[in-house]
Amino acid sequence: MTLDPRITGRFEYGQDQQVEGMLHARILRSPHAHAKVLSINTSEVPQHVVTLTRDDVADLEPLYGPMVKDQPIVARDRVLHVGDAVAAVAAGTPREAEEAIALVEVEYEEMPAVFDPVDATGDAAPLLHDGIEIPAELRPDGRNMCHRFRLRSGLGQDGFERADVVVEDTFAVAAAAHVAMEPHATLAYWEAGRLHVITGTQTPFNVRRDLAALFRLSEEMIRIVVAPMGGSFGAKTFMRLEPVAAALARKARRPVRAVLTRAEEFITINRHPARFHIRLGATRDGTFVAKSVDAWWNTGAYADCGPSVCTKGGYAAIGPYRIPNVNVDSRCVYTHLPPAGAFRGYAATQGVWASERMTDLMADRLGIDPLTLRLRNLLRNGDSFATGEVMHDVRFADCLRKAAEAVDWGGGRKNKGLAVMLKGMQTPSRTGVALEINAGGHIVLRSATTDMGQRPETAQRNLAAEALGLSPDLVTVGSNDTDLVPFDTRTTSSRSTFMMSNAIREAANDLRRKIAQRFEVAPEDLVLSDEGAGVAGSPDLRRPLTDLTGLRGDGTFVTPGGLDPDTGQGIASSHWHQAAASAEVSVDPETGVTSITRLHTAVYAGNVVDRPGAELQNEGSTIFGIGTARFEGIVFEDGQVTNGNLSDYEIPSILDVPDFTYDLLEGGEHSHGLGEMAVPVVPAAIGNAVAAAGHPVRNLPITAESVLDASLVR
Amino acid sequence: MEEPDWHSPATIEEAVALKARLGDTATFLAGGTFTAILVANGLIRPHAFIHLARVPGLDRIEIGDDLRLGAMVTHRRVEGSSEIRQSSWASVANCFAQVASPRIRNQATVGGVLCDADYASDPPTLLVALGARVRLRSPSGEREVMLSDFIQGHYETALGADELLVDLVVPRPPRHVTYVKFRSRSSEDRPCVGVAVAAEVDGARRCQSLRVVVGAVSGRPQEFPRACAIALGDRITIEVATEIGHQYSELASTLSDMRGSAAYRKRLIAVLVRRSLETLAA
Repeated sequence: MTLDPRITGRFEYGQDQQVEGMLHARILRSPHAHAKVLSINTSEVPQHVVTLTRDDVADLEPLYGPMVKDQPIVARDRVLHVGDAVAAVAAGTPREAEEAIALVEVEYEEMPAVFDPVDATGDAAPLLHDGIEIPAELRPDGRNMCHRFRLRSGLGQDGFERADVVVEDTFAVAAAAHVAMEPHATLAYWEAGRLHVITGTQTPFNVRRDLAALFRLSEEMIRIVVAPMGGSFGAKTFMRLEPVAAALARKARRPVRAVLTRAEEFITINRHPARFHIRLGATRDGTFVAKSVDAWWNTGAYADCGPSVCTKGGYAAIGPYRIPNVNVDSRCVYTHLPPAGAFRGYAATQGVWASERMTDLMADRLGIDPLTLRLRNLLRNGDSFATGEVMHDVRFADCLRKAAEAVDWGGGRKNKGLAVMLKGMQTPSRTGVALEINAGGHIVLRSATTDMGQRPETAQRNLAAEALGLSPDLVTVGSNDTDLVPFDTRTTSSRSTFMMSNAIREAANDLRRKIAQRFEVAPEDLVLSDEGAGVAGSPDLRRPLTDLTGLRGDGTFVTPGGLDPDTGQGIASSHWHQAAASAEVSVDPETGVTSITRLHTAVYAGNVVDRPGAELQNEGSTIFGIGTARFEGIVFEDGQVTNGNLSDYEIPSILDVPDFTYDLLEGGEHSHGLGEMAVPVVPAAIGNAVAAAGHPVRNLPITAESVLDASLVR
Repeated sequence: MEEPDWHSPATIEEAVALKARLGDTATFLAGGTFTAILVANGLIRPHAFIHLARVPGLDRIEIGDDLRLGAMVTHRRVEGSSEIRQSSWASVANCFAQVASPRIRNQATVGGVLCDADYASDPPTLLVALGARVRLRSPSGEREVMLSDFIQGHYETALGADELLVDLVVPRPPRHVTYVKFRSRSSEDRPCVGVAVAAEVDGARRCQSLRVVVGAVSGRPQEFPRACAIALGDRITIEVATEIGHQYSELASTLSDMRGSAAYRKRLIAVLVRRSLETLAA
């Protein structure tokens, strides 16, 4: 029996990659939230250790970033958060590197720092970035603001005049850590002027593009090989360790590997803390007429993909409802906290929390059952969302009904809560894929979809096999190497199965055309099977696939879209992720401890191509949601993470996971992504259940103490 | 940075002689679950480790008039020992079973949890309520110290620089013993509050002795005998349980950490002490 190398421990993740002569990197990090870097002295570092400071990268582009170029490889004149990289070393062993980094002396002059996004936009707040260029379409309109997403539909704020009842409240969601079991890991080396990077990343083509810009090279001079990741959950999107590893390798003229420690993970990239003020207006019969969302996203010292988070969270907070008048102002603001970026449940977690708690507050006010109120207002096929786009393939009500049934909603709703959401997918977006017949007569799938534990190869092999009429055993997935795979936007936003299923179908059609050309027949006359290729009605013409070695089919799938930066009108998402959850809890009124007695998610999956994979994704998402709901939150004190370890920052253990159930709703034409659908709805459903038990909480996580503080009866 | 020296003494005498010679520059190493975190975070930088794994006799479990647990006995062994579970000391096994996760309990030791004196621990709270003491050895001899005196505050104990905690001695407990571990977060978390009750009741359920100890809320386990005095000589009623809970809540000093604020802990103490005593009232 061949055991899975992931189980035997032989599997090589990013941090296991090595090449001959490799050095080990360590990064010196700022102890201050904001300070001038007066001097950096590396003279005490042993000669054989390679050091990297601002002077070593002066010939490169000074700044990088996926949306705003604002981040240096190592600090230039100032450090902007506790943990900001100041210098780096590369040495023969990790221990030697750790000892060397302690010998670098840095002289700082501390400066005032700001940690709250609203404070950061005040006139007196210290300015984080001076002289950077924020793209005009991000419409920043305040001090330290890198993006403002606006959406205006109908009468906007004036729409509230049509409401009989208006409720409003403020909600907050804490920063969170991804806690992938494997930390960030990158190995870089230079060969004949070409930069090779073996790295655990969800975004190889973004990394290639951004490294090219940073090192002033053409993209062809950079090769990214994606190492399989031991978890990512959004942490390994865009550039992380690649710039510093590549810069160290350039200076050392040796390969350099950088692997973060657990403590460094907490100051490298986190989930955005966010705050919302929401107003919702309805008529007495429970028809929503107006909604306003006022959101603040704390992106920390560097924008990363914060502007995109701010946009997607802005419209996620509208919810999957028909509301004629909508006004969204969602702001992404720099502060001196560690940077925040992509996180499983991408912005929807925060937006859905605020939106769905608000839906229940409205139900309370109107005295209408929360299920009835939602069903009355949910988007249906052909309705327009607040962005103006017409909704297709809509299953919100089906998801919600399934969730409600699972907790016997009709049997009484004491201690029960519901939540429903829409979540956008990366749009516009592009995916290329190729299917090649190799010398062994196998189909090699060339796909840039990265493996972060979700094992996309199973789904993609099934898709290719089905499209070609072959068994999945005949399909192998080739190396994930930018030299070999066609362009793909990135493996994020649960887009890959949807995008790849379309691109693979195209590639399969293209391959069939090419094979048919060999036989000089029309593609529809081609017969393809595991035994070979042939022509319908002429069995003697059949040839084994090894006779077709080298033939290749290419497929591309593109989704257009985008939103107007001033009105938020346009296409937000080429297809919508749809999910609902229900929860039943019991709350100890004297301690605030909440037990989850029932939990169900209902997720629109469309066409399921890998059943075990789909189930595991949804189970993992549900557990992720439980962590966010119950106790995951990074605590900062003067910009310093005070719980940056796995004793003080807790994730759910298996004993914290209640029995839960779920439905994967099938149907429709497409495969829908489901890698993160339960993450946003689970906390909101639990929060609504805790509120129904008499503790109307407003913030995530729902700690036992916060439940007690939110008690209606003392 | 020099590698710390590694010593593996073969006897208790050798171990304490080494410690006496090396003093505070050396640290005893038992299971290492706590020491490894301190070293990894640079909070201590010992020049030498004195590893106790090869010292014979430190892993003994003895049941007689007292329960004696050697310093190197792991949490898991206390938890799993059928002799302890079937003895009057079953509450001790139940308490050690509530610490962290099996992986930690397989490694963490009785001596370690007492000498670390981490406030957020379970066993010290119960063991103080049971009147446990520790036996300490040094080159100059041996002494016994009440655990309530041994743990002095945050990570501070009465252990001398040349002393080794050899074993823990737990006298036979009274008839009614409970330990309640209150977790505010994950099931593998340290306690937010721990409440131990040790009471002797007579045939008419009249309370003859009562010790209530609250732990994990400040530097060391806390006990307020005068607050317990109202329970003596009669059956414990709900009112008495509530009153003692209130008193403990008022008298206990509490701290704030990731598991809860000082004020939250005050509220919990009132609830948990009352609930613990209510089981006696029932």
